[in-house]
Amino acid sequence: MVNGLAIAIQAAMLSALYAVVAIGFTLIFGVGGVLNLAHGATITIGAFAGFYAVSAFGGGVFAAVTAAVLASGAFGAVLYLGLIRPFRDDPTIIMILTLIVAIAIEYLFLVVEGTSAYTVPQIVAGTTTVGGASVPYNLVAIFVASWLIIGAVFYWVNRTDTGRAIIATSMDSKGAFLVGIDSDQINLLMWVVASVLAGIAGYFFGSYLTIGWSMGRTPLILSFAIVILGGLGSVRGSVIGAYLIGSIEVVTTNVINPQLQGLAPLVAVIIILLVRPSGLYGKEIDIA
Amino acid sequence: MTDGTNTVGSRSIDHPPLVEWLDPRRKPPRHKLGLIGLGFLAVLPTLLTPLQALTVASAYFMAMFAMSWDAVSGYTGQISLGHGVFFTAGGYTSTLLNLEFGVDPLLTIPIGVLAAVLAGLLIGIPTLRLRGPYFALVTLIAPLILLRIFVVYSDVLGGTTGLTRPDQLFGLQAGDAIVTYYVAFGLFVVVLVALLAVTRSDAGAVFTAIRQSEEAVSSAGLNPAKFKIFAFTLSAAVGGLAGAAFVHLPIGSPTPSSLLTLFVNVEIIIAAMIGGVGTIVGAAIGGMLLVLLREILSNLAVTVPVLGVSLAEIDTIAFAIVTIGIVYYYPDGLLRSTITLGGRIRDRVASRSNNQSLQSRQQPRKSAALSDETTDEADRKHGGNGNER
Repeated sequence: MVNGLAIAIQAAMLSALYAVVAIGFTLIFGVGGVLNLAHGATITIGAFAGFYAVSAFGGGVFAAVTAAVLASGAFGAVLYLGLIRPFRDDPTIIMILTLIVAIAIEYLFLVVEGTSAYTVPQIVAGTTTVGGASVPYNLVAIFVASWLIIGAVFYWVNRTDTGRAIIATSMDSKGAFLVGIDSDQINLLMWVVASVLAGIAGYFFGSYLTIGWSMGRTPLILSFAIVILGGLGSVRGSVIGAYLIGSIEVVTTNVINPQLQGLAPLVAVIIILLVRPSGLYGKEIDIA
Repeated sequence: MTDGTNTVGSRSIDHPPLVEWLDPRRKPPRHKLGLIGLGFLAVLPTLLTPLQALTVASAYFMAMFAMSWDAVSGYTGQISLGHGVFFTAGGYTSTLLNLEFGVDPLLTIPIGVLAAVLAGLLIGIPTLRLRGPYFALVTLIAPLILLRIFVVYSDVLGGTTGLTRPDQLFGLQAGDAIVTYYVAFGLFVVVLVALLAVTRSDAGAVFTAIRQSEEAVSSAGLNPAKFKIFAFTLSAAVGGLAGAAFVHLPIGSPTPSSLLTLFVNVEIIIAAMIGGVGTIVGAAIGGMLLVLLREILSNLAVTVPVLGVSLAEIDTIAFAIVTIGIVYYYPDGLLRSTITLGGRIRDRVASRSNNQSLQSRQQPRKSAALSDETTDEADRKHGGNGNER
């Protein structure tokens, strides 16, 4: 029988990971005004990069995470420079192109790796017991790492010059240009950072569950739910949204029916759109 | 219906009499070509093996799916990423009514269309009022919700593997390739004509205006949301019709993998982008091309070097790359690019073969086209410079 405490712990820890994915998604939207539907595919790329680093080159967890960062960051840069920048005045085309890219990448992994699920080494092995509920150290490590990342992004956006440039660009890229901010550089930076976040999250997801060609879908869909709930473009909203959506997801899959994976948050999204379309944190573009 | 003479209202003054308007000899060359093409498709089965006829029949369905997408996304600019919901609403409703209650497909198909319209209203009314990417997000999510529901109630709804085959339309057998072909072709022509009529009407002009600027439409005293919902519902009806008819023919089956999955949803977008968005005809051509090219690829024994798989296995990736290339180099799609090219060739031939007076008459037009082109070039360069800033 499922234990209430175990579910609460799982929800608290996984939600942090969802927040990392959603922050990347919302950063790109907040700054560039475009949706990156390849965000889920980036998760898959990060996970498989880690997997190859371990299986083909015999690396450890550190090497795997490094590979995930490098591969996803490179993918983000190539995607931005090759496909996004030429069409950056046309969010519609970008949305379609990123979806097509996502499908192509998923399909590539499907052809090369098949439909099997693969495992990657856990970040920290073993389990501990908290108040009668067993908690894998791996989940704790994911939780801690996720919050370190969230904290770093907060600090970076709110306290550094680059962060101020990001906020300025998200408010008004022409105005930012007038005060000497290169909005193209900021956008490139956003795509790379967001992709790296997705790539790391991909490895984390893989270490907690398994990796496979369509593993990026559920996190991407949950990101939608999170950012719509939190308000598109709001980092703070993403974290809060991640906790709400993550809790709904964990509780429904554990308590009601595992088949409902991904369904409850989606229904929540539809209700939010009906009741309060601007999300919890109102304005569409509001980075902090 | 009036006979089209210029008597009723100020609106019809622009239009020539109906008989004259219908006269194919007065049509521009591209319309003539289109009519010749349709005529060719009408007699095509005489040249095909039964198996090939069935392939072309399924190409008509892909064309209908793509046209249905184009009617809303290509015209109003509201990108639906989950049009499979409507194919599924039509196909599944029709199948379930037939399987559970034994209703004849001729009756279940219209009910399937109604179900798709309902689904369209259900998704469209809440989301199309909103600005921003919400419509796209919800349409991307909708098929996933539907698929989850299928899995949860898999005893009735068949889960991810789909439903069993329902009764065939007119009791068709797998071998009735010619009848299947003409049923598909007939539906294709009906859908094509209906969507052309709507998109070339005043409502179609409003759809295009919405894509350009919703503010402009509002300031003209028209409610953009109303037109968007109309376009979306129309598109849902067409998609539902195609989906419902598809499952009752030997070429289709009521399964998520043929009606609902992300691959299906992206495939129809790819088809429309290849042919040309916002034209209906382009989507039809793109949809047919996609199926026929896939068929050709599957017959080729070409192995992709690095991956060591056959080309047919990665056809989706190939189409994705082709689409990206087309978006890059021919953003208007193949149809418009071909028409532009054809017009240019015609002008050139005309200016070569005809006398001086005609040439001088052609000249300003040609130079106008050229100057358009140079502005395009300049724009692109300007955009390039802007990016390097």
